Amino acid sequence: MEITKKDVELAAKLAKMRVSEEEVTIYQEQLEALFKWVAELAAVNTDDVKLTNVNHCAHMREDVAVSHPELAASLRAAFDEEKDQCAKVKKVL
Amino acid sequence: MMTVLEIVKAVSAGKKTAVEVTRECLAKIAEMNPSINAFVEVFEQDALARAQEIDAKHARGEQLGPLAGVPVAIKDNILYKGHKATCCSKMLENYVASYTSTVVEKLLQADAVIIGRTNMDEFAMGSTNQTSVYGPVKNPVNLECVPGGSSGGSAAAVAAGMVPAALGTDTGGSVRQPAGFCGIVGIKPGYGRISRYGVIAFASSADQVGVLASTVADAAKVLETISGKDVHDSTSLPAPVPRYDTFFTEGLKGVKVGLPKGFLDGLNPDIKEKIDQAASRLQELGATLVEVEIPLAKYAAPSYYIITSAEASSNLGRYDGIRYGYADHSAKDLNTYYEGSREPFGLEVKKRLIIGTYALTSERYEECFLKAMKVRELIREDFKKVFSQVDVLLTPTSPTTAFKLGQHDEDPLALYLADLYTCQGNIGGLAGISIPFGKDAKGLPVGVQFYGPILEEEKILNAAYNLEKSV
Repeated sequence: MEITKKDVELAAKLAKMRVSEEEVTIYQEQLEALFKWVAELAAVNTDDVKLTNVNHCAHMREDVAVSHPELAASLRAAFDEEKDQCAKVKKVL
Repeated sequence: MMTVLEIVKAVSAGKKTAVEVTRECLAKIAEMNPSINAFVEVFEQDALARAQEIDAKHARGEQLGPLAGVPVAIKDNILYKGHKATCCSKMLENYVASYTSTVVEKLLQADAVIIGRTNMDEFAMGSTNQTSVYGPVKNPVNLECVPGGSSGGSAAAVAAGMVPAALGTDTGGSVRQPAGFCGIVGIKPGYGRISRYGVIAFASSADQVGVLASTVADAAKVLETISGKDVHDSTSLPAPVPRYDTFFTEGLKGVKVGLPKGFLDGLNPDIKEKIDQAASRLQELGATLVEVEIPLAKYAAPSYYIITSAEASSNLGRYDGIRYGYADHSAKDLNTYYEGSREPFGLEVKKRLIIGTYALTSERYEECFLKAMKVRELIREDFKKVFSQVDVLLTPTSPTTAFKLGQHDEDPLALYLADLYTCQGNIGGLAGISIPFGKDAKGLPVGVQFYGPILEEEKILNAAYNLEKSV
């Protein structure tokens, strides 16, 4: 199982973590070794295994880190006052 | 240091006060900890106040609990209200527990004294105790060597005689492997035996609290005190907890001990020799040795690393600067806020989160995560079959004895292999215990391990008790 630097960068982005170029290089080498080992699992026949605790109908999302700038903007626009990039809410107590 | 049972006897009989025991323990920590780094915080005032309460209770003629006056150390991922619990990570450096874990609550109810929190690998990810933000723990047997991990601080504290018992957690061998490296007893019960309420999660399908102590009888006493169903943890099992010492027998007549075929192939000769000797000793004690096959056990370690990393990537998502952990107030927008707030994670934690996240991507999900989950089911079936033939299994605790600090830093796969024999227990949900059985040619302790079925900890405890007594 080949692991590229892009794979590492994608996984880091999905995990919302910043990784330096140096870290990407280290992780890529280490993950490559680990996933080679994990690839040995392919030798096990699991065709008849039924898992009780995994939702097989899980809808797989696209592997992208999601951000909604338009949603953030519309939320901020709903408040009259803003300070230090924080919306000021009405006093409730 | 007196054993747990000796302290209980002395304090309950009024021959020693809980304050005296606590002071002795604090003095030993002050003497030993600077060179070993097992404790990251000692609750001196709190522990003495607690010991005074126990002595006052005794003076009033009230019955003392089953761990009367026993100082117990807790790993830095177990919550004790009002005290820091940092997982030895910069991420949680200022986190103070707002409630007490069930295991600590049970210790307090049993009149134990919580003496301090112990060093560990960051977020329990590691087998050397070198990934802690507080610096590495040194093995008391040889200060140039690692104590094992991730509960390295708890193991070293017991091995150095700073405390008679300590709690650790075991996700892939984190109680048993350091126990083996430091020459003490470490037990991880079957999955569900002990509540994990108030224990900071790493991988929820494998995490278990375990006990480190200097004798099997001590470990059994602490284990029975903290075990049992807890309404706060739905994964804890509603089975009665026996008094384990009532199962201790003289000899092992009628006990079937399984020796897994192929487990010793290519093993370090010193450790192989010890396992052979342990098997012969068990036979002399009356046990019947049975060779058994667990064909898929060799796949436990790769499955373990995928499943636990995937679970960690989900569990540690809460450290985002909003719900828990460090907050990066210099960030300009939400995405950089998250990224900046997760910056304090150390290299190993970041790596596991990347592994877990990658294994859960739509591209790799079936091939990695789902495959590992299915292999785990088959391994569990293998163990179920084996335990219909034998009472316990005998295996090495680790493929090697303690190695030098920094020795495998460039080869993480070699470190992952340190869990080879222990992670099988977490993948199978089994009960496992490591006890010391002699030393290798370098004078380092060798651990041998017994596995038993879930909710039958008494079987491994009795086998270990008999083997310990015969040494």
